[in-house]
Amino acid sequence: MKEFKYVITDPQGIHARPAGEIVKAAKEFACAITLTKDGKSGDCKKIFGIMGLGVKKGNEVVLTFDGEDEDKAYEAISKMMEENL
Amino acid sequence: MTMDYTKCAREIYETLGGRSNLVSAAHCATRLRLVTVDNSKIDMKKLENVDGVKGVFSNNGQLQLIIGTGTVNKVYEEFLKVSGMTAATKEEVKAAAAAGQPVFKRMIKALGDVFVPILPAIVASGLMMGLVEALGKAFPSFAGSDWYGILDLLANTAFTFLPVLIAISSARVFGGNIFLGAVIGMIMIHPNLINAWTVGSMEAADIPVWHLFGFPIRQVGYQGHVIPVVIAVWLMCKIEKWLHKHVPEMIDLFVTPLCTVLLTAFVTLGLIGPVFSMAENYVLDFAGWIITVGNGVGAMLMGALYPFTVVCGIHHMYNVIEAGMLSAAEGLNIWMPIASAANFAQGAACLAVGLKAKNLKTKSVAIPSSLSAALGITEPAIFGVNLRYMKPLICGAAGGAAGALLGAMFHIGATSYGVTGIPGFLITLDYTVQYAIVLAVAFAVAFGLTWFVWKEEVEERDTNAGTETEKGEEKTASGEKALFAPVKGNVISREEIPDETFASGVLGDGVGIEPEAGEVVAPFDGVISTVTDTRHALGITGPGGMEVLIHVGVDTVNMKGEGFELFVSEGEEVKAGQKLIAFDIQKIKEAGYSTTTAVLLTNRDDYPDFKILKKGKTDTMEKLFEI
Repeated sequence: MKEFKYVITDPQGIHARPAGEIVKAAKEFACAITLTKDGKSGDCKKIFGIMGLGVKKGNEVVLTFDGEDEDKAYEAISKMMEENL
Repeated sequence: MTMDYTKCAREIYETLGGRSNLVSAAHCATRLRLVTVDNSKIDMKKLENVDGVKGVFSNNGQLQLIIGTGTVNKVYEEFLKVSGMTAATKEEVKAAAAAGQPVFKRMIKALGDVFVPILPAIVASGLMMGLVEALGKAFPSFAGSDWYGILDLLANTAFTFLPVLIAISSARVFGGNIFLGAVIGMIMIHPNLINAWTVGSMEAADIPVWHLFGFPIRQVGYQGHVIPVVIAVWLMCKIEKWLHKHVPEMIDLFVTPLCTVLLTAFVTLGLIGPVFSMAENYVLDFAGWIITVGNGVGAMLMGALYPFTVVCGIHHMYNVIEAGMLSAAEGLNIWMPIASAANFAQGAACLAVGLKAKNLKTKSVAIPSSLSAALGITEPAIFGVNLRYMKPLICGAAGGAAGALLGAMFHIGATSYGVTGIPGFLITLDYTVQYAIVLAVAFAVAFGLTWFVWKEEVEERDTNAGTETEKGEEKTASGEKALFAPVKGNVISREEIPDETFASGVLGDGVGIEPEAGEVVAPFDGVISTVTDTRHALGITGPGGMEVLIHVGVDTVNMKGEGFELFVSEGEEVKAGQKLIAFDIQKIKEAGYSTTTAVLLTNRDDYPDFKILKKGKTDTMEKLFEI
């Protein structure tokens, strides 16, 4: 299992579009990917799972990757987060 | 966030137009639900701005204030204190809202509510009773056997003590103590009273009477009765509630039940009893006379009226007529074919409902009930099914009339009494063919009419008006898997949405709608699964777990909620067509964004049969997707 901690810098937080992009990216991997904020978690392969967390600028989130291709997923998604959010 | 509940409650109360404008209050998980006399007296503007009230709307005569989980109950408690109201249950709020319905409809509904829970007890009993009695008639040696004795006892218990079951169920429906209700039911069939079934064969002078304050009270029970029991328990609940309010708490436990039972019992035996026995005598005289009216016309009328006399519980005296006929010179019972046609027709109407209904629950009640009616026990069919929907009862009456007319024209006479329907063949041995025709015609007319006249969904809505949840269940139960347009406007394909993320389909499959009106309504009955602080998008989960994202405009997240108004909160249950978001089209355009609203089924992969039905102009609530 791998973890990625990140503080959101995008002024809009994770709204529908970035949430969609995360889902799109996450779906390409077989491993389980979850996003956690303040103890609440959501499945990154489901748009509602992410949007339901209401992540805003300045929030610290934790991404966890668990499964066969977790290393690749970690790399791709953490890079995407850093670049876009 | 901490909140001043008292302040919030006081501010809400101040906008409502005074205590006299308030009917009742209740709350659910997120909302405070109020019923007011006159909604126009409410200062809506001010109400919407009360700190802590997240949204206000009115629905089915109820004013609903969205306050939020965990806080609404506290605000509610304070609200009761501030307004000086007593707690109402959600049911009471619904009942107050339903009070606008016609009395007759509410009575039929109440009767249905009373009967449905006890159906498991009486449907099987009815079938078994019909079978046992038929076998007893067919094989006289069986009738005397030990097996018959015990089976008959087991089968007729539920009917012998039917008033107790009805009383308990009524007490539940009318909100009284069910044990006191049971006592009332038991008083009404107490073994020290003369059994209602034997009263008919007694001389009036032989019936024992109590005299209280100069009032005679006949010592007669209510075996087999329905309506008087429901009335008695309804009255009991009124008395009980009144006493609970007015008796000091210290002696409440002793005084209230005692007075409730005593008062109810006196009124029941002293007033309801005589009224019904008078009605019974009139019905008896009328019935005895009408079947002698020329050429079967009278019989036809009686065949039509018969089920209504069953509904009123005044059919118990008919065996007096039958016994009288049998003891006369010709000695044939011409009443029996009338009753038989009427009963059989009710069974047929009930069967039509059972076969046509899509709702499994309706089916599972109607089919065994119709069998029981074919064997002559009609209570489950009439009270459990036909009366609830009314139309089958009337169609059945028409069938009964047709059958009874034929029966009179064939001059069918039975050699005994006590059984009708299929077992009736056993006492009409000289008329087997004619009797078969009577039953066949009664069946065909009742079944055919019901089949064409009765429609499930319309009827369901009629009988359930005011109870929205049942309607919702109905919709899902009938297998309708659809999504209705949440926005009025022009439907474009997903690929045409001017945003790459939506157009690519990564968020789900669906359409874009170029809105003509700034309002989003719920596309189905569901639960709000996610809302955004910026109020421009929400997720809603519907029947079977379908998840739909409704996103108003493109890039509108940048407007930070300006021009958007949200009426629901996360976790809230909504009904199809309920207003969810209001938005200002002009403001979105001024801000330089597209107003195209994305409606996407996010878990589209779970629905291989997903189909988009609409392109171009749509109004809200037109069918948009099918899944």
